Amino acid sequence: MGSVFRPAANFWASLALLLLALALVAFSLVVWLWPQSDSARRMNWAPAQPVPFSHQHHVSGLGIDCRYCHTAVEVSANAGMPPTYTCMTCHSQIWTNAALLEPVRNSLKAERPLVWRRVSDVPDFVYFDHSIHIAKGVGCSSCHGDVANMALTYKAKSLTMQFCLDCHRNPGPRLQPKDKIYDTDWTRDATTPAPEVLLAQYGVPQRNLTDCSICHR
Amino acid sequence: MSQVKKQWRSLEELTQDADFLSRVEQEFPLLGAALAAPRDRRQALALMAASLALAGAGLGGCDGAPEGDLIPAVRMPPGIVPGMPDYYSSAHIEGGYAAGTVIKHFMGRPIKVEGNPFHPASLGATSPIAQAELLNFYDPRRSWGVTQANLPRSRSALEQALGEQRDKLAATGGAGFVILTGASTSSTLAAQLGALRRSYPQIRWLHWEPIGRDNVDKGIALAYGARLELKPQIQNADVILAIDSDLLSAAPGHLRIAREFAARRNPTRAKMNRLYAIEATPSLTGAVADERFIAGPRETHRVLLALAAALLGGASVEGPPWLDRVISDLKANRGRAFIHLGPDHAPEAHALVLAMNETLGGRGAVYTLLDAVTHASSDDSLSLATLVADMRAGRVNALLIIDSNPVYAAPGALNFVEALGRVDFTLCLSATPNETTAASLWVAPMVHPWEGWSDGRAFDGTASLMQPQALPLYQGVEPYHLLGLLLRPDPPKNLDLVRQTWKDQLGATVDDAWINALAQGVIPNSASPASNRPLRDDAARTRLPEPSSAATVLLFRPDPYLLDGRYADNPWLQELPRPLSKISWGNPLLISPARARELSLTNGDVVRITVDGVRMTTPIAIAPGQSDDCFVALLGFGRRRAGPAGQNVGVDFFELTGRSCGAPDIQKTGATEELASTQRHATMFDEGGVYARSGALSQFLADPEFLRRSDEPLPSFYEWKPEGPAAWGMSIDLNACIGCNACVVACQAENNIPVVGKTEMLREREMYWLRIDRYYDGPPESPRVNFQPVLCMHCEEAPCEPVCPVGATMHDAEGLNVMVYNRCIGTRFCSNNCPYKVRRFNYFDFADEERRAIQSRNPEVTVRARGVMEKCTFCLQRIAAARIVADREGEKASAVVTACEAACPTRAFTFGDLAAKGSEVAARRAGPLSYALLAEQNTRPRVTYEAHIFNVDKPKETQK
Repeated sequence: MGSVFRPAANFWASLALLLLALALVAFSLVVWLWPQSDSARRMNWAPAQPVPFSHQHHVSGLGIDCRYCHTAVEVSANAGMPPTYTCMTCHSQIWTNAALLEPVRNSLKAERPLVWRRVSDVPDFVYFDHSIHIAKGVGCSSCHGDVANMALTYKAKSLTMQFCLDCHRNPGPRLQPKDKIYDTDWTRDATTPAPEVLLAQYGVPQRNLTDCSICHR
Repeated sequence: MSQVKKQWRSLEELTQDADFLSRVEQEFPLLGAALAAPRDRRQALALMAASLALAGAGLGGCDGAPEGDLIPAVRMPPGIVPGMPDYYSSAHIEGGYAAGTVIKHFMGRPIKVEGNPFHPASLGATSPIAQAELLNFYDPRRSWGVTQANLPRSRSALEQALGEQRDKLAATGGAGFVILTGASTSSTLAAQLGALRRSYPQIRWLHWEPIGRDNVDKGIALAYGARLELKPQIQNADVILAIDSDLLSAAPGHLRIAREFAARRNPTRAKMNRLYAIEATPSLTGAVADERFIAGPRETHRVLLALAAALLGGASVEGPPWLDRVISDLKANRGRAFIHLGPDHAPEAHALVLAMNETLGGRGAVYTLLDAVTHASSDDSLSLATLVADMRAGRVNALLIIDSNPVYAAPGALNFVEALGRVDFTLCLSATPNETTAASLWVAPMVHPWEGWSDGRAFDGTASLMQPQALPLYQGVEPYHLLGLLLRPDPPKNLDLVRQTWKDQLGATVDDAWINALAQGVIPNSASPASNRPLRDDAARTRLPEPSSAATVLLFRPDPYLLDGRYADNPWLQELPRPLSKISWGNPLLISPARARELSLTNGDVVRITVDGVRMTTPIAIAPGQSDDCFVALLGFGRRRAGPAGQNVGVDFFELTGRSCGAPDIQKTGATEELASTQRHATMFDEGGVYARSGALSQFLADPEFLRRSDEPLPSFYEWKPEGPAAWGMSIDLNACIGCNACVVACQAENNIPVVGKTEMLREREMYWLRIDRYYDGPPESPRVNFQPVLCMHCEEAPCEPVCPVGATMHDAEGLNVMVYNRCIGTRFCSNNCPYKVRRFNYFDFADEERRAIQSRNPEVTVRARGVMEKCTFCLQRIAAARIVADREGEKASAVVTACEAACPTRAFTFGDLAAKGSEVAARRAGPLSYALLAEQNTRPRVTYEAHIFNVDKPKETQK
């Protein structure tokens, strides 16, 4: 009885084992890296909304301030989403018959709220507070990107813990002058005060901003 | 382990029971048994696959792909800012009396009950029951539809049926129509009942409480010839004698009384008062008394006679030997001495005690008499017994039962349910289905007190408005609406009725007075005026009824949290360990240690008890400090028709009430039942064996620091230096703690702490972040009791931190020992290394399994998942809120009040910044009585205690 395996079988067996090992490594890498990719984090992605609301048109075009709609941003943890009533303050006068605004008019008529898809989100065990960031010179664009120039609102920053910590470890360079907080295409230039000056000006508290208890409860 | 502990928590500990010792030596009792349980291979593989899949899902979820919807309002309700809490005043009604509360809302949803600092009966504190009202409001088992003979009917059908009753009432003048409801202080209800009587002169109503204060009211009527309200002013009392008293736990205004009592208990801050307690079974009042004397019913009878003889004159009666000392102390403090008698004593005894109090000259100083606050039934002769007799005789043809459960809670001897069957028209208005709704013809769902307009008065008469906190969740009917339908087909709105009641005080239109009354939660100047009615001459000669001649009697007491069973459905209150027995989820019969020995019974033995031919079986528990000649049955358990939390939990002793007082017969059955008692859970070890330190006032006066002498500061390798702008710490005054558990429920509500149920309690897996340890000193027959709240000590040298392999428990700059739930992998090393045993592990997904309405949770606190360790955070969410406001407005952080501190009626907790100059917590910490628990462990806890001083001359006195 001859041998069962020919000499080449050794080669194929080794190759198969190698490929298997490579496949395992590749699989692990995918499982490890995929959640960190922009795709998994839905970066630069604008979900379908009930109304294709354009911040570009309303903010850059018409000059409406962020706080006209997001009224609670200076006093509360939540920035606040505008009630249908806020939309209709203008749209009961202009574009009253626009087909695009049909869901808004229906909402008011039927007393049923509009349901927007979330664009920015942090996990439930993170207690982000808008008011303190606004008060201490962190502008809207630091986390939301250049919203004033977004035709459709998309997620511009990763909003991961790493993203938060980058700033909490060294907030100075990212602080914006008081009058530029709501200016989403603001960038640091020659006229901007130095980070140390801004830190002192805002009185950024001398606490350890990387303590767990700052964000988690 | 060989040495006998000076302080002990359970009889097994005292006797060094072998089973107990092996149990406490394990950090996680019963875990070994659980792991040893056989599992088949398939199940193991399935679990491994599931955990891998979950891990994968978790990895994906960690990196923040946005999920979910944002749903703004169509029109923003005025005053609501998203993400900010709102507060609306209300009141909690207990036995008819109101205690002011403030309900905290998030986005219109009630999430927490706080006390109302403007309300005289609350002063900012709450009872545990008031805290737990939240779960009753969200109870998914509440009634939601009208039924007739258990079939669903429309609301108009009910209105039609009431219309027919209206016609009958008009024809008969109200004869045969009876309204049965609980004790009430509502002026609106009284006005409405008055209007009914004007239209139908023969209509009758009965204010009935299963566990009422009838004896007290009748006693006052005997002594003064009028309905009056006695208001204790304990802050002025130097000597208090409490006989079977509920002064600190259930008497009207008990929160305020406890505050006034505790304000004079710490010798470093005030002149101490002295409390003597005489009682048959241990109570909260007895537990904190300076001297507690055990006396069964017959002995108490003799004590009352001897007291009367000594204070009121007459032939001297031989009392127990210790009584002379009490009498001379009372006499020596004329004008500043007060005697309080519990509601279980006969009216004659109350009349006699009132006469003694007059003789002691304290009226106006240590107590006042006010015009009555509660409302009387339609006629004095009407009682539940006469009502049942009338029902049997066919003299009642319509019975309207509002928020009362007589089928369950009426004395068993009356057989109420049988009498109810003889009434043609019965309508029961109830918030949840219960025994009475099952036996009534018509049933209507009642609104929760947070869903409608009402009013109530405090123990001193101060009136509160109760406003709706939400629209009715279950289409409830308001009691006022139902009564209004008896008068006319289109009754006025509830709000209009309440406004009408108070228009003299608050004006007829919505103006500042009305708004202020709502904002403050009290109607100004509405307290009852003091009465100057003199004592009747013959009050001092009232003859006491003879006590039962039986060698042993069965005493009935309400459960401190379920009361008459109305809170049996509330899992927070079911699971709350009872202050002294530490038992939850059950009501074993309480027996004194000597009687238990005599009957060779131990904790959990099941006995058969026979009273007047009625038999039932019940487990027993040994109650150290109980009189040998009585058994004590706690009422409120054993509900036959209740929700999953309350049905058939414990034994219904109402069956035995109202029966002739022969000696109950007790027979051992040989069966046993495990009692879910936490008294031996989380046992700490200290070489000295004294955890809750205490001493006598004489020792304190001789050397104020005598209790902290031994605490030498130990050297440490690591000196933790506070870096942050604040150093949070807490001081707990053991002199003030009365063991009421209000802090425990407040903590549970604030921090989304789940209930675990009896099975898990038996496995020592309760989740309380804050517990109250109860220690005994001395022999089991007559021990002294010490309460000690224990929570995470936030040690500066925290033993939990270095043992965590994943850094899930860390220190922050302000000295908080924080727990990072998302890092925790559940090794439980931290709990193993915690000397105080305050860490709690989620063995199961308790938060999900308790199926609590998600709207009722505090959105500011993470809901913990399975497999995660958790513990007290010093109410980090409250610190964060204060910190954010301070940083935003550029000020120093305002005072942070933790949930336990806010709820505490006696201000035992003081929380604050130890680094702040002049902070109260720093002052208390520096006080002579201050000590750290397990100081020899050198953990440098941020929580310290002020040792308990008893106002006695000799240390460690225990009387019999």
